[in-house]
Amino acid sequence: MAPKTTPSTPKSAPSPVASLWKAYNDETPDRLKFVDSFLVFLMLSGITQFLYCILVTSFPFNAFLAGFSSTVGQFVLTASLRSQVNPTTKDFKDVSPERAFADFALGSIVLHFFVFNFLG
Amino acid sequence: MMLLSSLVLLLSGVISGTLAKSSTGNTVLVVVETAKQSNYSKFFKGLENKGFDLTFREPKAESPVIIQDDVPSFSHVIVLASDAKNFAKDITPQTLIELTTLKTNLLIALSPKQTPLSSLAAEFSLILPTPGSVLYSYFPERADKPTVVPVNIPQTPITSQKGPVFFSGVPFALGDNPLLVPILNAPVEGFAAESTSAEVLVEAADRGGEGLWAGSRLGLVTGFQTLDGARVTWVGGPEVFSDEYAAKEGPNGVKAANAQFVQDVAAWTFQESLVLRVDKVNHFLANTTTSLEQYTTNDNIEFSAYISAYDAKTGTWAPYSGITDMQLEFTMLDPHIRTALLPVPGVPGKYSKTFRAPDRHGVFKFVINYKRKGYSYLQSSTIVPVVPPRHDGYPRFLSAAWPYYAGAISTSLGFFVFSALWLAGDSRPAKKGKAQKTE
Repeated sequence: MAPKTTPSTPKSAPSPVASLWKAYNDETPDRLKFVDSFLVFLMLSGITQFLYCILVTSFPFNAFLAGFSSTVGQFVLTASLRSQVNPTTKDFKDVSPERAFADFALGSIVLHFFVFNFLG
Repeated sequence: MMLLSSLVLLLSGVISGTLAKSSTGNTVLVVVETAKQSNYSKFFKGLENKGFDLTFREPKAESPVIIQDDVPSFSHVIVLASDAKNFAKDITPQTLIELTTLKTNLLIALSPKQTPLSSLAAEFSLILPTPGSVLYSYFPERADKPTVVPVNIPQTPITSQKGPVFFSGVPFALGDNPLLVPILNAPVEGFAAESTSAEVLVEAADRGGEGLWAGSRLGLVTGFQTLDGARVTWVGGPEVFSDEYAAKEGPNGVKAANAQFVQDVAAWTFQESLVLRVDKVNHFLANTTTSLEQYTTNDNIEFSAYISAYDAKTGTWAPYSGITDMQLEFTMLDPHIRTALLPVPGVPGKYSKTFRAPDRHGVFKFVINYKRKGYSYLQSSTIVPVVPPRHDGYPRFLSAAWPYYAGAISTSLGFFVFSALWLAGDSRPAKKGKAQKTE
């Protein structure tokens, strides 16, 4: 709230991207930044595989499906973990962070079980 | 016991060696008037010397019948009674056709007159000229009548000897039936006409020869091999077989080749020469010797066929490696593969080909369909299913898939590292966050 109401550089209006970045840096707990970095990694990994599939080969298509869906699935699970442990989210007040992490871990293990079955 | 059976074997071998000159049997029915029988004595003698059993029958005699209880009584039938207006009731175009389906070979001489055989000839794609027409040729200049025409024998696998063949009779045009085997064609100067009076020739010349059947496209002796393998030979006139023509001398003092020519024609017709068969076929996975019930797509398959030719001199089948233009097809509705099936050097009679099965599963057939004019048809079809690889038959861990493997593995490692850091950092950052929040 503070950065929006009191702009640090009053002379020129800050670019929206820069202000968004600053707000994110200032307001987000370290824990969520950590989750976000994992999300970014998963997204980059997924994009890389998708480009490889389009540009080079989709030949072992099961391998592509397994690799790509593991990043997508992990992304979804991690994103839901993030929303459950985010203190500003009101929807999950009655879900404790421990419970959320346990759900996340169990879901991930099941996901990776299927992924590695499908990969070879 | 062994001795006895081997003796029987030996004996039967001797008998077949002396008697079996045709690959399909030695009994021959000759339909000819008794009065004219002596005209063809050299031809008949030649056949008997080769081991054939000749039975003579008048065209109107009731016996012996040619088909009894749906079984042909003879292996071969010669019809030289071409002038007969009508035959006994069991010799009709229908029964002669039925004979060919029962794999009986026919040698039929035609007549310029309209006879039941003329209508039968049309069934074999022979187009006869108007009744009464015979072959005329004024060349080369000779003392004979213009209707007794010396014809040079073409070099074919059926007839190989040189010299003129004297012919008189009716020439015929050939339809476009692919089963026809031209053996002897009319000379270039020959033509078909009912009479050679001056008016007829002048009239034909005025029309530029239109309407006049002439030239070397006219057939005189033409074979026909049915899809069942029976052979039918049509001869324009019975005089070709006669002793009189065999003793003739050609224009330049060359001896007539009739005697040998008619024996060659009979040898072809009676399945003595140019008779081939497929003994067996087999197929293996390449470089193995076990025959599989089914193959997998992209397998290397080795297909072999063993082919024999009939040797009339010994009456036996001998491996034959002389075919160079045979093809093998691997067919599922369409031929997916069509390739040359060539003889294997050093193995008589074996033809082999190794090829890769198409990347297509289904019920395939190995097909050999070898039809050449004059030779027996070689047909073979072997069904074999081609299946996709089993679930564990596919290649695994391909190098092309390494980005996907790396992606999946890194996601899993990332999950472990994430979980470890999350749990390790649980107390401090969480408290910090809470503390900050509460503050």
